[in-house]
Amino acid sequence: MNISWIEKNTFHYSEFSDLHRLVDEKQRKNLKISLCLPTLNEEKTIAKEILIMKSELMTRYPILDEIVVVDSGSTDKTREIASAYGADVFEAEKILPHLEKFKGKGENLWKALYITKGDIIVYLDADIKNIHHRFAYALLGPLILYDNIKYVKAFYDRPIAIGKNKIRPTGGGRVTELVIRPLFSLFFPELTQILQPLSGEYAGYRELFEAIPFPIGYGIETSMILDIYEKWGLDVIAQVDLDKRIHRNRDTRALGRMSFAILQTFINRKKKLGLVDYKEKLYSEMIQFNLVKNKFEPDIYEIKGHERPPMIEIPAYQEKFKKPDDLTPLHENIVEATL
Amino acid sequence: MDGYLDKLQGFVDTIRSMKETIITNIVLIGQVPAPTFNEKRRTSVFMERLAEFQVDECTTDGYRNPIGIIKGTRESKPPIFVVAHLDTIFGKDVDHYYTIQENSITGVGIMDNSVGVGVLVSLPEIFRKLNLSFESDIVLAGVIQSLGKGNLRGIRHLLKTWATPIRGAVCIESAELGRLNYYADGMIRCEVDCNISTADGWEHKFKPNAILVLNEVINQILKLRLPQKPRSRVIIGKISGGYKHGTIAYDATLGFEIQSNSDKMVKSIFNSIKDIIEGTSHEYEVDLKLKTLSNIHAAKLTFNNPLVKKTVAVMKKLDLTPVSGPSESELSILLSRNIPAVTLGITHGDNYHQPNATVEIEPIFKGIAQIIGVIMAIDSGVCDEHQLD
Repeated sequence: MNISWIEKNTFHYSEFSDLHRLVDEKQRKNLKISLCLPTLNEEKTIAKEILIMKSELMTRYPILDEIVVVDSGSTDKTREIASAYGADVFEAEKILPHLEKFKGKGENLWKALYITKGDIIVYLDADIKNIHHRFAYALLGPLILYDNIKYVKAFYDRPIAIGKNKIRPTGGGRVTELVIRPLFSLFFPELTQILQPLSGEYAGYRELFEAIPFPIGYGIETSMILDIYEKWGLDVIAQVDLDKRIHRNRDTRALGRMSFAILQTFINRKKKLGLVDYKEKLYSEMIQFNLVKNKFEPDIYEIKGHERPPMIEIPAYQEKFKKPDDLTPLHENIVEATL
Repeated sequence: MDGYLDKLQGFVDTIRSMKETIITNIVLIGQVPAPTFNEKRRTSVFMERLAEFQVDECTTDGYRNPIGIIKGTRESKPPIFVVAHLDTIFGKDVDHYYTIQENSITGVGIMDNSVGVGVLVSLPEIFRKLNLSFESDIVLAGVIQSLGKGNLRGIRHLLKTWATPIRGAVCIESAELGRLNYYADGMIRCEVDCNISTADGWEHKFKPNAILVLNEVINQILKLRLPQKPRSRVIIGKISGGYKHGTIAYDATLGFEIQSNSDKMVKSIFNSIKDIIEGTSHEYEVDLKLKTLSNIHAAKLTFNNPLVKKTVAVMKKLDLTPVSGPSESELSILLSRNIPAVTLGITHGDNYHQPNATVEIEPIFKGIAQIIGVIMAIDSGVCDEHQLD
């Protein structure tokens, strides 16, 4: 396996801490940048993310042009708080309302393409406890400064919050190490160089995002990497070390469901690429057992694996953003840049 | 000369427009753990933020107190100090991440002293936004090793090694808005350790219990007759000891403070307590060790001191009612060095030293305007003729 990519395309956030340089280069290239935060009941962390990003990357350094929250129907005060701190807040189901309705992180990210204005879109999870503006500027750095980079993923040390007020210094990333890394090693060894393929923090050019399908659930990160890799190659991708990210610890059962969705996405991609064929239909239910009053009872969780088509194929989007005639040259530009 | 008083209400709106930047500073600094004696990481973030806001000089003194200096317009004028302590009572492994709601911030140390430190770091940007410049240099000092066994070492060292006179000082605390401290009681902070040998010996027929021995010490301290004038008190603040419910405690520790507005009285009470401890040690035949952790001299400005009067005027202009009391903090070291100083609070809050401490956001803007008003008062010469009482 050629491991030159990891040496060439791996950065540390401190390489992009000269924010004046990023602002100058952004202005020279006449870029618009949107930050999108997908949410579902994130009232504890959303204000902090918006506030720090707004202060540091809008007011003090004009790097972001908009902060957009796309909400999946929170029942807490997520939307009110996000509005109060100045984000543009949208309910996912009210964006492109004529389409069939789905719920999930991927759905929010996909719909964000329709409502944001940026040439570059930064996606950050909304549950980051130790949020810092480096989470956005470090992802933007390679995109703004290097012409060949079109998509940037985060990686980090992942301490997890345990109990009420304690932090455990290492841990997390279990699905990555137990599911994704073995799969990549088996089928796409080159992609193992992406250290945290499941990180929820990434940024990229609209031209890429609009041209790939989005699974509506947990599979979004996996499919995004596979699709970008397949369409444009590994060289348009970079990864940035963001130091530490503190996040909620999920229980093993939740990680099991997450793994199911990822495997489902992975297998579907392999089928689509003609790399594997299955004689039988795959099931769409994750079955876990609970011991209730000395009896094992199945807990069935249906994960249908719905996928949104590339946004560029949606007529309302075409109408809003560009004429269909303009599409081909844009994509060719990316291919040229990687050669 | 007092024209700035009329500008203060207007300042509040401008400061409110900087809400994101101020809260960002509070959060980014407050989320870095800084237990006393381990403030290094918070010091680095403090320096980074100060450098970000382009103060004229950004450095640490020989004791690693981080300092930012905003140059004044007249070199002949001594500097004005604005001070906030960096350290907290919480350990490194405690979750320091904050939650922000529509009008509140919740998290460890937010009330002591994250808001104070965050505001201190925001001052350069706030001055710029308000278009303010000063004759004096403004020295923004985040002092380390303030609390408990830290014994105010940071501020002591900073002042001891500062070469030039200091015009006046403002100490910033997160809470409570409305506090006005201008006098410091004399104080001795002590710990008594009771250790009982676990080895069997001829002197004890029945093993004494360290907790009960300290209980006896407490009872005798409570029997002391303390005068109302000079105002004096003993605060029993901390106690710990023992291993488990069914085992006699062999070790226990008692922490207390003697406070009085007379140094002589503090010394006299200390001697009485020393006698109690020696007597108890002898009577129970146990090892009782008295340690002095901190010693502060009483110092004060009078209520009619120009700085106090002007601070009251600033607060009243902002519809704040000043509430006064003694303070055993950086203020006492400044006053004991004959530097006119006051301590002010920034906002209101709840659960002071709890993990779920919460502060209100809206009062912060008025709290900052008040700090700026007092800095302007000092810069206009309110302390220049002053002698400490």
